[in-house]
Amino acid sequence: MQAVETIQKALSDLDPCKLKVLAVSSVGIGGLLCYMAWRKKTKKIPVGDGWWREGEKPLSEDRTIRPFVVETSEEMIQDLYQRIGQTRFTESLEDGRFHYGFNSAYLKKVAKYWRHEFDWEKQVRVLNKYPHFKTNIEGLDVHFIHVKPVQRTGQKVLPLMMVHGWPGSFYEFYRILPLLTETEGDFVFEVICPSIPGYGYSEAPRKQGFSSLDAARIFHKLMDRLHFTDYYIQGGDWGSLITCNMAQMKPEYIRGMHLNMINARAGSTMTIVCLLVGRYLPFLVGFTREDVCRIYPYMQKNVYELLRESGYMHIQATKPDTAGCGLNDSPVGLAAYILEKFSTWTDFKNRDLEDGGLERKFSLDDLLTNVMIYWTTGSIIPSMRFYKENLGSSSNFYKRLDNVTKIYVPTGLAAFPHELVHCPRVWARSRFTDIRSYTYMPRGGHFAAFEEPALLSQDLMQFVKKVESKRPK
Amino acid sequence: MAWRKKTKKIPVGDGWWREGEKPLSEDRTIRPFVVETSEEMIQDLYQRIGQTRFTESLEDGRFHYGFNSAYLKKVAKYWRHEFDWEKQVRVLNKYPHFKTNIEGLDVHFIHVKPVQRAGQKVLPLMMVHGWPGSFYEFYKILPLLTETEGDFVFEVICPSIPGYGYSEAPHTQGFTCLDAARIFHKLMDRLDFSDYYVQGGDWGAFITCSMALMKPECIRGLHLNMVNAKAGGALSIISLLVGRYLPFLVGFTREDVCRIYPFMQKNVYKILRESGYMHIQATKPDTAGCGLNNSPVGLAAYILEKFSTWTDYKNRDLEDGGLERKFSLDDLLTNIMIYWTTGSIIPSMRFYKENMGANFQKTMDNTTKIHVPTGLAAFPHELLHCPRVWARSRFTDIRSYTYMPRGGHFAAFEEPVLLAQDLLQFVKKVESKRPK
Repeated sequence: MQAVETIQKALSDLDPCKLKVLAVSSVGIGGLLCYMAWRKKTKKIPVGDGWWREGEKPLSEDRTIRPFVVETSEEMIQDLYQRIGQTRFTESLEDGRFHYGFNSAYLKKVAKYWRHEFDWEKQVRVLNKYPHFKTNIEGLDVHFIHVKPVQRTGQKVLPLMMVHGWPGSFYEFYRILPLLTETEGDFVFEVICPSIPGYGYSEAPRKQGFSSLDAARIFHKLMDRLHFTDYYIQGGDWGSLITCNMAQMKPEYIRGMHLNMINARAGSTMTIVCLLVGRYLPFLVGFTREDVCRIYPYMQKNVYELLRESGYMHIQATKPDTAGCGLNDSPVGLAAYILEKFSTWTDFKNRDLEDGGLERKFSLDDLLTNVMIYWTTGSIIPSMRFYKENLGSSSNFYKRLDNVTKIYVPTGLAAFPHELVHCPRVWARSRFTDIRSYTYMPRGGHFAAFEEPALLSQDLMQFVKKVESKRPK
Repeated sequence: MAWRKKTKKIPVGDGWWREGEKPLSEDRTIRPFVVETSEEMIQDLYQRIGQTRFTESLEDGRFHYGFNSAYLKKVAKYWRHEFDWEKQVRVLNKYPHFKTNIEGLDVHFIHVKPVQRAGQKVLPLMMVHGWPGSFYEFYKILPLLTETEGDFVFEVICPSIPGYGYSEAPHTQGFTCLDAARIFHKLMDRLDFSDYYVQGGDWGAFITCSMALMKPECIRGLHLNMVNAKAGGALSIISLLVGRYLPFLVGFTREDVCRIYPFMQKNVYKILRESGYMHIQATKPDTAGCGLNNSPVGLAAYILEKFSTWTDYKNRDLEDGGLERKFSLDDLLTNIMIYWTTGSIIPSMRFYKENMGANFQKTMDNTTKIHVPTGLAAFPHELLHCPRVWARSRFTDIRSYTYMPRGGHFAAFEEPVLLAQDLLQFVKKVESKRPK
């Protein structure tokens, strides 16, 4: 009260001229502040709409949510065995290891295990331990699992959607789900893991143009259909891009976003300057010592490595129907194609190993279950088309609206050491305006939830704790 | 200066492509070879075709996402019910086949002796295929070269690159174009040829160029239907910038301008759109080819997509990829059967990695000049157009440069008459200038 009186007195002491100037500049500054706040709040990308079957969209929408059970049949297993049995292997070059792709000696071992020891009926029971559902959105049957938590007294239940990538699936989250749906702290998660349309049990689009923006909108509609209005989202690989799009489309629904793969650059000139200077004077451009470790030598770790590892991306972004055709007939060919990624993207040094180091971090049962999801649904080609729809169009991917729009929701970033590309916090800040948490993870690669579920869940929870503590009660 | 020019060669080197040490004595026998088939192999093929799991193409996808599945089903149906492999094997065997062991590998080739008229000179000619082709691509042009009206006729050798078709695949790493070139020189030597013409496209162009660099004294003339030459960094950029508006200033003809511009469109974007296969094969060939070796229809889609798009880019707008406009399904499938029956898709892909890996500078060296008499046939739908002025920076003795009126990448297969005519006129020029 006293402050108000003091101000009133001060104002009345001013002469009319100065008062006018003060009034005008106050209005001006006030207007500017309002404008800036408004601009920031309305930085969203359009939601749009879509219809992904042939023909016209009908007038009424089918909003039912139907329970779904993963099934298998003797016929399907026999067909699989017959195809594995007739695999024609090509001997690897002497000392080829994993440098030419999947080593054939080790591939034979994997095929043998798959044929004689892998128990698909048992794995189907594992898959079904969480309840599955399907619901039709924009003409496509979207599959998801819905895991309700074990709620302790006093715990808050927070909805969380976790989105997978390629060549993964919802199954990658099966090791982290127990850690998120049963916790010690103030909150516990109710988790939804959908399958991206075209992947696994989600129906594939029949029309061209289905991009991450469409997937994002469909996932918002899914959460809406489940009566969630306010939720956390988590993702890596395509899941990272889709959750970013979700945050850009409807930020008011996103309580927080956590990513284990970070797509951000400082903007081309800035990036180049950073890179040139950062090696010698990292502090000058905002790099930490850990950043320097992970980025340099730059050409080696980023340009050459990416060139060596992005052949799949190039062919999938241009000729997905050709690239996936043979894979849909040859289970062992499909396994080689997919498991090569689980090997190399977990640690580049795996290329020097005869067995690609696959079983160091993953069990064959888990790896093959993921492959079986692609095999039994015949979804390898639609999964590859996603690359072309996002990256392969004539319009430049980097100029796409979502890549030039910032993200304003509370964000948590987990930078894993063996992720394909490292993004320093200072670069991330140019895209994510509200980073609440940025962690240099001690171990792990691209498939974070699958490989290091405990580490990822810890980081997710500390991020959520930070976000929750700052929220108005 | 004359001496300097004459000694510009690249080292020949040597190699051994099996495990273990090279033995002291070399097996130089040339064994006749007959392409065979069996009922078992045909039944296995039919069973695999029958169990193909097709994925429906997107609405109006045409050939923009790769091979269209509706048309692929038609091809598979033809393959299963109408294609007669036993008949095609007889076609393959109409020319005599041989194998001989060089550097540890059984190298396959066909050797076609000409019908020699009175007074005609017989000139040896080696024709080298590329990927995803084979020696079979030359079957339509062979009759035009081994029976001619003019002063000379050809005796033709068409080998299979090691790792392709009936040629054994290397077992050790590092087999590049240079090694293939040396092996082919050894082959010609073993056949007692010391002086011969060489012709090639795709990998065949790289290999024959390497042959000309390695042993120019053995090369009577080099003819290419795919020309790899650039003016060299800064000069290329300048000629591209200027050439659009003042072509004569940088040595471009009107036809050059037509074929190169708009540059970004016709060259950069196109190459990016069409080079996915090259990128994955140059990095992960064993992964890329694994499924293809087990799915004949998958293999057909992968290979035939190239025969469609590299013949004419506009084929991507067609529902059937325009394949049967220029080729017969019998011919296309015979080429595929060569890859299928020999299981050679992965070794054929490894060639990309071996050439583009650590050896890139050496094997893809575009700057070492070639001094043998050269004939260049620039086909309008080839992947990249190389103007004569750029070719001159690499080939110092161009006797013939022709803007071909039609045709794409698979010149011998698609336009055998045109290619034969151009080759014949080139050889005529070279022969007329040679000392008697």
